[in-house]
Amino acid sequence: METQAEIDFQSAVSAFSAARNEPDWLQKLRLTMLAKYPELALPKFDKIQYQRWPLTDAHEPAVQASDATALAALDLDYADAKNVLVTFGETVVTTRLDPELAAQGVIFTDIFTAVRDYPELVEKYFMTTAIKPDANRLTAFHAAFLNGGAFLYVPKNVVVKEPIQGYYIQDSTRKQDFIQHVLVVADTNSQVTYAENYATVGTEANLANVVVEVIAADDAHVHFSAVDQFSPATTGYLSRQGNLANDAQLDWAVGMMNDGNVVVDFNTDLVGKGAHAEVKVVAVTTGKQLQGIDTRVTNYGQHTIGHILQHGVILETSSLIFNGVGHIVKGARGSDSQQESRVLMLSTHARGDANPILLIDENDVTAGHAASVGRVDQEQMYYLMSRGIDKKRAERLVIRGFLGNVLTEIPAKRVRDQLTATIERKLENGQKSE
Amino acid sequence: MSKLEVKNLHVAVVDEDKGQEKEILKGVNLTMNTGEIHAIMGPNGTGKSTLSQAIMGNPAYKVTEGDVLLNGKSILELPVDERARAGLFLAMQYPAEIAGVTNVEFMRAAINARRADDDQIPVLEFMKFLDKNLATLDMTDDMVERYLNEGFSGGEKKRNEILQLMMIQPKFAILDEIDSGLDIDALKVVSKGVNAMRGPEFGSLIITHYQRLLNYIVPDTVHVMMDGRIVESGGPELAEKLEAEGYAGVRDDLGIDVKLTDEI
Ligand SMILES: Nc1ncnc2c1ncn2[C@@H]1O[C@H](COP(=O)(O)OP(=O)(O)O)[C@@H](O)[C@H]1O
Repeated sequence: METQAEIDFQSAVSAFSAARNEPDWLQKLRLTMLAKYPELALPKFDKIQYQRWPLTDAHEPAVQASDATALAALDLDYADAKNVLVTFGETVVTTRLDPELAAQGVIFTDIFTAVRDYPELVEKYFMTTAIKPDANRLTAFHAAFLNGGAFLYVPKNVVVKEPIQGYYIQDSTRKQDFIQHVLVVADTNSQVTYAENYATVGTEANLANVVVEVIAADDAHVHFSAVDQFSPATTGYLSRQGNLANDAQLDWAVGMMNDGNVVVDFNTDLVGKGAHAEVKVVAVTTGKQLQGIDTRVTNYGQHTIGHILQHGVILETSSLIFNGVGHIVKGARGSDSQQESRVLMLSTHARGDANPILLIDENDVTAGHAASVGRVDQEQMYYLMSRGIDKKRAERLVIRGFLGNVLTEIPAKRVRDQLTATIERKLENGQKSE
Repeated sequence: MSKLEVKNLHVAVVDEDKGQEKEILKGVNLTMNTGEIHAIMGPNGTGKSTLSQAIMGNPAYKVTEGDVLLNGKSILELPVDERARAGLFLAMQYPAEIAGVTNVEFMRAAINARRADDDQIPVLEFMKFLDKNLATLDMTDDMVERYLNEGFSGGEKKRNEILQLMMIQPKFAILDEIDSGLDIDALKVVSKGVNAMRGPEFGSLIITHYQRLLNYIVPDTVHVMMDGRIVESGGPELAEKLEAEGYAGVRDDLGIDVKLTDEI
């Protein structure tokens, strides 16, 4: 295999972009970022040590098809979903959108189709508003090597009732980078519920670099849920970025169920007056993995509300770090920043951290935080076991209860059930070594 | 028929303030069979709850001497879940609240824990049985869809303990102050549930401070406990004597030297 130094990345990226018929702006952006990324700094997150991870060891980009029959291994259940996109590696497996929504101007398609069919619309929002391509080394790397993703656009005043679902599956049956971009734009006064799932098929060690942007215009309301379950051999940079205009609302509910090492850059900017974000995260960490989760909300606009709630469970010799960063800038009068991060440790060899960071530069605000790292409540365990339930199952029930406040937030029952099942699977695996 | 025996049981707890062990039970003897209802009465702080927790296997209570036997076999080495599956049940004074786990799912898990993996209770059978027991206890469907004990009132928690008892159908049920904080109507309902369980395959040890409950669940045997020991046993009339004379009267009759924290 060629080493990175031997690959002519410039030609390879140009060729990849040309093969995809990308508009000029995207090809230019790729090449600029390709030249720039090695010089940029890695993003810094308190207490999360990931600097040595292989997050920028790119393979030569090439348009490659994946064999969708391999998806059978995952037991994905989207047969009766009305609005769904399924991708495997770079291959689009299924794409469905209710014709009534399409008639109202809703767009939901894979990212390459989107840049070809709606180049101006994508150009307007793609890494311009929620995150900039040169924000750091990993975002620039992302722009240069992007090879999959989706675009969801909800026009002004359109209310989408049925959830929109995306399944983005990494193909690790071979060496291939997974560089996904999901761009969600909810225009003025629109409403949408979007749910996404990430998972891996195959056992090769690959990198995943995911950037999700959610842009909510004035008075828009976005309900966003995600379940990430990359494989033990995947090392990931998972970035989700929200940008809210006046009186917009964004509800995030995210399940971090990965089995490998991931660094999570989860950021929401409350830019407009009265913007409101509810950020809910659950995480289960097992084996030897590290999940470092940096969740940040910044109140820029007046009377903005940012709430963070993170609950996580750590098993075996794994590590889980929750940073909760609440930042109220000067001038954001009447704003509210609250956060709660709680970690349950099931093993004495696990490492957990719940790290609240409040940065308040304005006086006329309300802010608060709670954080804890603890063990399973023994009274709850005793109660469940006194009814004949064995220790491991009782533990799983207590944990499910502990994670429940995020689970109940997930609107699509299918996604909720799937997350519950994923948690159960991950806990059962983690309990085996106890 | 099953038999539960408590033999010369000594139990200590660790006093968290002082970090010292404190002996609470000082040699309790008790034998009961299924088909029988026993009541234990006694002043507060005498060790009634300690006895029930020690029989059930709460790890906070340490048995320092004596034994607890179920059908002739010691259960002291068994963890609490195995004791439960062997047939013991404890209706607790302060049941834990568990958010995120529904009552109904919990009860199904408890029943299925007693059955083989390939013989789990069919949903329909479970629901029918549940509806029947809910009706006996005047409970509504939404109680079982709620999270386990979360936000339940004191009375609702007690009813929920009895509902679990009726669903699980243990051999021996210890009811720890099931009457505390109940108004008369709730007391009647709870008693109705326990009486519905009566039969040759069920035995119950009812712990109470007051005689009132025993008007509704009439026991076969009444024991009086003081200072970590059973000091007197008799028929239902003993409860009436206690009601009339108070614990202090019984103490003085028996010439026991203990101080009562609350004299009724
Ligand atoms: N977990 C415990 N830790 C410390 N002391 C306890 C504990 N449980 C009971 N005790 C003490 O043991 C004594 C008996 O209590 P208990 O068994 O609750 O009595 P009763 O049920 O008769 O009121 C009391 O002095 C009480 O303070």
